[in-house]
Amino acid sequence: MGTPPVTQLEESVRQVADKAPAAGTTPSPVRRRGRKDGLIGYLFMSPWIAGFLLLTAGPMVASLYFAFTDYNLFDSPKWIGLGNFSEMFADPRWRTSVEVTAKYVLIGTPLKLLLALGVALLLAQSRRGQAFYRAAFYAPSLVGASVSVAIVWRALFSDDAVVDRAQTFLGMDVGGWIGDPAWVLYCLVALTVWQFGAPMVIFLAGLKQVPKELYEAAQVDGAGPWRRFWHITLPMISPVMFFNVLLETIHSFQIFGSAYIMSNGSCGPADATLVYTCYLYQQGFENSRMGFASAMAWMLLIAVGLVTAVLFWSQRRWVHYEEASR
Amino acid sequence: MRMSRHVERRTFLKAAGASLAGAGLTAAGCGAGSGSSGGPVTIRYAWWGADDRAKKINRTVALFEKKHPKIKVKTDFQQYGDFWKKFNTQAAGGNPPDVFQNAIGFLRKYDAKRVLLDLDAQAKKGNLDLGDFRAGLEKFGVVDGRLLGVPVGSNSMGLIIDERVFEKAGVTPAPGWTWDDWDDALVKIHDKAGVAGDSGPFGIMYLYDLILRQNGKAFFTEKGLGFTESDLVPYWTESMKRVRTGLYADQKKVEQIKPKSALAAGLAGGEFTWDNFTARYSAEGKSSYAIAPIPTADGKKTGQYLGSLMLSGSARTKHPAEVATFIDFMVHDPEVGRIMGYDRGVLSTNEQYEAFDPTDPVSKKIAAYEKQIAAAGTLETITPHPAGADVVEAAFLRIAADMALGKAPVEESARQFFTEAKTALGS
Repeated sequence: MGTPPVTQLEESVRQVADKAPAAGTTPSPVRRRGRKDGLIGYLFMSPWIAGFLLLTAGPMVASLYFAFTDYNLFDSPKWIGLGNFSEMFADPRWRTSVEVTAKYVLIGTPLKLLLALGVALLLAQSRRGQAFYRAAFYAPSLVGASVSVAIVWRALFSDDAVVDRAQTFLGMDVGGWIGDPAWVLYCLVALTVWQFGAPMVIFLAGLKQVPKELYEAAQVDGAGPWRRFWHITLPMISPVMFFNVLLETIHSFQIFGSAYIMSNGSCGPADATLVYTCYLYQQGFENSRMGFASAMAWMLLIAVGLVTAVLFWSQRRWVHYEEASR
Repeated sequence: MRMSRHVERRTFLKAAGASLAGAGLTAAGCGAGSGSSGGPVTIRYAWWGADDRAKKINRTVALFEKKHPKIKVKTDFQQYGDFWKKFNTQAAGGNPPDVFQNAIGFLRKYDAKRVLLDLDAQAKKGNLDLGDFRAGLEKFGVVDGRLLGVPVGSNSMGLIIDERVFEKAGVTPAPGWTWDDWDDALVKIHDKAGVAGDSGPFGIMYLYDLILRQNGKAFFTEKGLGFTESDLVPYWTESMKRVRTGLYADQKKVEQIKPKSALAAGLAGGEFTWDNFTARYSAEGKSSYAIAPIPTADGKKTGQYLGSLMLSGSARTKHPAEVATFIDFMVHDPEVGRIMGYDRGVLSTNEQYEAFDPTDPVSKKIAAYEKQIAAAGTLETITPHPAGADVVEAAFLRIAADMALGKAPVEESARQFFTEAKTALGS
């Protein structure tokens, strides 16, 4: 998603490069060449631009309009103003979906990042078989997004399956997690925490960037490992940490596949895994209420936007950029 | 090779539409798409079900293509829930399959959205024979005088029981038994066989409909709901009591083993469902299963009617004649009856019913059960459900399950159901 088109970057770089020596000399052929290059650049970009307009911008505008209508896909949309939004706030299932999602984000994201950081710290030290360990820890996030893993998860945590039997063996007769409204959300949390590979790799890259001299100097001054971690490692990787927190939080808000598949499409039992997007999907595709679903989607966008803004605002207090200290 | 511009464009549009919907339809050769040209015509046939049904349906389609070489049939199937999500999206995009499996709960819904083909015109042209249907099925797909579906099989609600459990408890259900008898049976099964008597029927709309009908009401009227909160609250209150006392199965376990049925998993001695499910349960479970009659309030009236799966056509199809020919073949051809058996209920036409001679014990039980309820003379006619009924049914099932898992008390659950039903039926 969202990688800037290379052609555009290259083009602007070239334009700057072209212009710099052009000062004072003959400007016309250069400008002509620049315009021609630009045209070619846009030509190469056109599939991306067309895709963006047709598949992203267009649907977004349409969805914004539908959010204020009653639209069942078949009859033409009926304008109802803020009707969908007021219905949303009065709907107990919508509130449930907000609660479930908030719980998932608040529990899952910090746990995932903690684990990612912990494992990254272990793997940052050079030892034998390091490449294997890195690959092994990263593997789950490669397969994790797929449907099959959610199915495997379901098989692991359902009644009389591996986890249940292990618990019974240990004397904890609580039954499978999948059918228990009190436990099933933690199944989802466990699944996302297990897929900590991507933030781990980013943490690893961040850890490699920390200058060795800082640790040596601190050691000379008598700082122990804990102190070195707290006062050198954490501040030095805080930009990377910020990036991970931001990305993982946004990502968590959009959880859908695992909740949908693990509950056989019901997002239950007892709405215990009714995450926001799942309810949105049910309203849109099962109840044919595209207007309501669109309104929900825009509420999600606003919520994620707000959370992102708060995170950006908070970074002044805890994220240290090297440029700022100079 | 001459190809008219008109055909070219249409083929292109068709292919584009199909690929957008993910169906991946390819134009079937030169000249496809125009019925009048006399060349081969391709129709799309979509249905829901599982693998064993897929095998049977593919055999019937192959047979059809052999006997009608100018019509090609492309099939497409999903599980029940996914089927309707895909169908809904395709229909909204103006690209529904030409022929598709349908059920009573969807007739008014899609009729109101002008998706269904009125097959009457084709019947009048002689492309579809409406004779020879079994008693009770002649007018099944008619809504407000329009023929919107043709039944392929009939089924009815029944109480499917684990024979070994009932034997152990010393309970023998007989036609005309009452709800009090059934209550006693639940206790006996719980005490003597050590298992819950039922998997918990409080979320099954079709059973509650029968209970309401026995009391002169119904789940649906033509426009909305035929009952009130004051009907539902006592029913659910009593049900919750039975969940707590173990007369109904542990709902957490029932939830865990889904999509397998609680009866087949041995969690309960009985389960109310469609009679043709006996076949599925026998394949799933380890015990032997039979169909017991629906308990009554007065020793006679069961409230039962024949339910059925149907074949419907799309109002947007470019080949209504071929669609009608296909449906005609599927409901009348004796060989199709022999292949399908009672997979979609007891075969709907006399030709097919007589052609299929059930040899396996399960099919025999289903046939005997339907014969018995027909002979009892208590069968009623079904009300075609109002638009939105499918959403109401799903809400009834979900809210009842949530309640049984302790999410909300009975009164609150009932209130929630009526709120959601109002939204679904109002749109």
